[in-house]
Amino acid sequence: MKELALIIEDDEDLSEIFGQALSAADYEIEIIRDGAIAQNRLKEVVPVVVVLDMHLPHVSGNILLKQIRADERLAKIRVVVATADAQMGENLRGDADLVLIKPITFIQLRDLTFRLHSPK
Amino acid sequence: MKNSIRELFKIPETADLDDTRRKKLLNILLMSMFVLTILGVTFSGVDGIIKGVNAEDLMLVFISGPILLAVIIGIFILNRFYSGKVAGTIFLILLLIVFFFTDTPAELSGGRSLFVFFIPVTIASLLITPATSFIFALLGSLEIIYISSSIGISPNYPGIIGFFLLAIISWLSSRSLEQALKDLRTTNAELDQRVEDRTRELSAALSRETIEAGRREAILNSIADGVVVFDRNGTAILANPSIAHLLNKPQEKIIGSGLNDLLVSDELKAGDRGKIAALLEKSAHEFSNFRVQLGKKTLSVNAADVRDDRNHPVGTVAVLRDFTNEAELEQMKNTFIAIVSHELRTPLNAILGYAEMLKEAVYGQVNEKQKNASARIMMNAQRLIGIVTDLLDQAQIEAGKLKIQVMPCKPAELLDNLHGVMDKIVSDKNIDLITELDPAMPPTIIGDPQRLQQILVNLTNNAVKFTERGSIHVKIQPNHDGRTWQIQTLDTGSGIPEDAREYIFETFRQVEGASTREHGGVGLGLAIVKQLVELMNGKITVESQIAKGSTFTVILPLIPYEAAT
Repeated sequence: MKELALIIEDDEDLSEIFGQALSAADYEIEIIRDGAIAQNRLKEVVPVVVVLDMHLPHVSGNILLKQIRADERLAKIRVVVATADAQMGENLRGDADLVLIKPITFIQLRDLTFRLHSPK
Repeated sequence: MKNSIRELFKIPETADLDDTRRKKLLNILLMSMFVLTILGVTFSGVDGIIKGVNAEDLMLVFISGPILLAVIIGIFILNRFYSGKVAGTIFLILLLIVFFFTDTPAELSGGRSLFVFFIPVTIASLLITPATSFIFALLGSLEIIYISSSIGISPNYPGIIGFFLLAIISWLSSRSLEQALKDLRTTNAELDQRVEDRTRELSAALSRETIEAGRREAILNSIADGVVVFDRNGTAILANPSIAHLLNKPQEKIIGSGLNDLLVSDELKAGDRGKIAALLEKSAHEFSNFRVQLGKKTLSVNAADVRDDRNHPVGTVAVLRDFTNEAELEQMKNTFIAIVSHELRTPLNAILGYAEMLKEAVYGQVNEKQKNASARIMMNAQRLIGIVTDLLDQAQIEAGKLKIQVMPCKPAELLDNLHGVMDKIVSDKNIDLITELDPAMPPTIIGDPQRLQQILVNLTNNAVKFTERGSIHVKIQPNHDGRTWQIQTLDTGSGIPEDAREYIFETFRQVEGASTREHGGVGLGLAIVKQLVELMNGKITVESQIAKGSTFTVILPLIPYEAAT
């Protein structure tokens, strides 16, 4: 059974690319394009990796990140923040496991997330 | 009556002022003699009648009196309308004749009446010319000699000598008088001329001043900036139409009102009002040039001291400019930057990602040509992303929105990341990238890792662009002063011509002759580096030798992490 990765990104193309990258990194992937839906989904599942965009409809990535960090149950999730704003990225380094500044390449994401698998 | 008498005795002004003076003098003498004659005839007549003198003598008095008066009038007319000198001469001769009859020959020639002959001598020098006193001394002497001989006595020689002595004195004093008058007239004329010149100068200066003031006012009235001048008490003493328009108050109402009255407006925020008041009340204008919001208008406010000739402050001038359009444009630019930042990079990221996935055979096997094409798409997308990033950075620096972060930063990581970004590019170009970290460098320093990385990447990128063979050295080391550290890039490229070193840090510039197409980029890399370095309180220098290479050195303040914590 592959480990679950949640891709929370509202842009159709980027979510496809991120999804493919994580598939290639041997994850079971689930793509969510709405902050509120992601919020609910995180109540049901505990993914190993979350790729999180900051600009999301309804609930922003920033709030989702704070909620994940505040939740004991979700403590082990590795959060990869994907943002176009370098400044914002720097500010999130404390809460995120990885901060990637867009543009994010397929290979870059694939190789980085591959290292985030739970130790066997 | 008074006027007509004055008119009668008036002497027409002539160019010869001395002549006029003599004529006036003669007029007075004639008038006196006229009155004396009437009185003399009257008294002699009455006296003669009372004492019962014979009718023949009485008749002589009454006949000679009117004749004398007629002669006086004749001389008067002559004096008035013809020549003063001729009239004066006739008058004096008349005196000599009259004297002949005033006393007995004995008394006249040597007795009590001898003195009367002094009169014409003295008067002649005043009435005709100074030297004529000698002529009348001579005439007087002849008359006395004649009278003496007629009665058979010898003339009074001491008296005659006295005439000539008096003539000398009269001549000298009259001459002095005339000279003094002449000098006085010259002085007067000079004074008049001076007054006239000065008056002319003053009136010229006044009209110049008026023209100048009018011109200044015209300038003040026609400039678009609002200008208001306050005196030292904070009362507006000057305002132009533009300020009236900006503040929406009539110009006449602005002049004379205090600063506080002017700033009372619902449209002005309390904070802005305080700022303006502080600006104008302080003599040192440290907040000069800020913007305030007045209703829908954005105004820029400037102030300066007004000083007099001796550099004493006499007031304050405030200049308000309508900045509304500029502020709107700036807002539009910022919005544009925000849109570009988020909306342009996302699709570029997608293009890059898809091309990469095609190349990596995520969607199935691809042949070499297809792989190659994908690589070209990726490369171009990367280039475009680079340009967009540079443009955005430049726009943010210009807008003052780019802030340097203060956080721990590992120089070793900066160099590792540099390899990550540049290795592929340098190996494609078949040159070496050698990085060197001085062991003396603290492992962690305080800095902005993202911007330091950008500086390293931009400098290296620039070196790669202009280097066709050889190597690029990147060194990080602390400086001997202990307070700074430096990043150095040394290349073996084409070098930068001397004259180009001045402008390579300017935006959108590359070395002339080197085409932009050949080297890629829009000419922002070094400009951004310089601006970032300056934001970090550092400086950048360049040394270069044509065909040998260039060395860029960035010197930055050193704050080791341990020292900071």
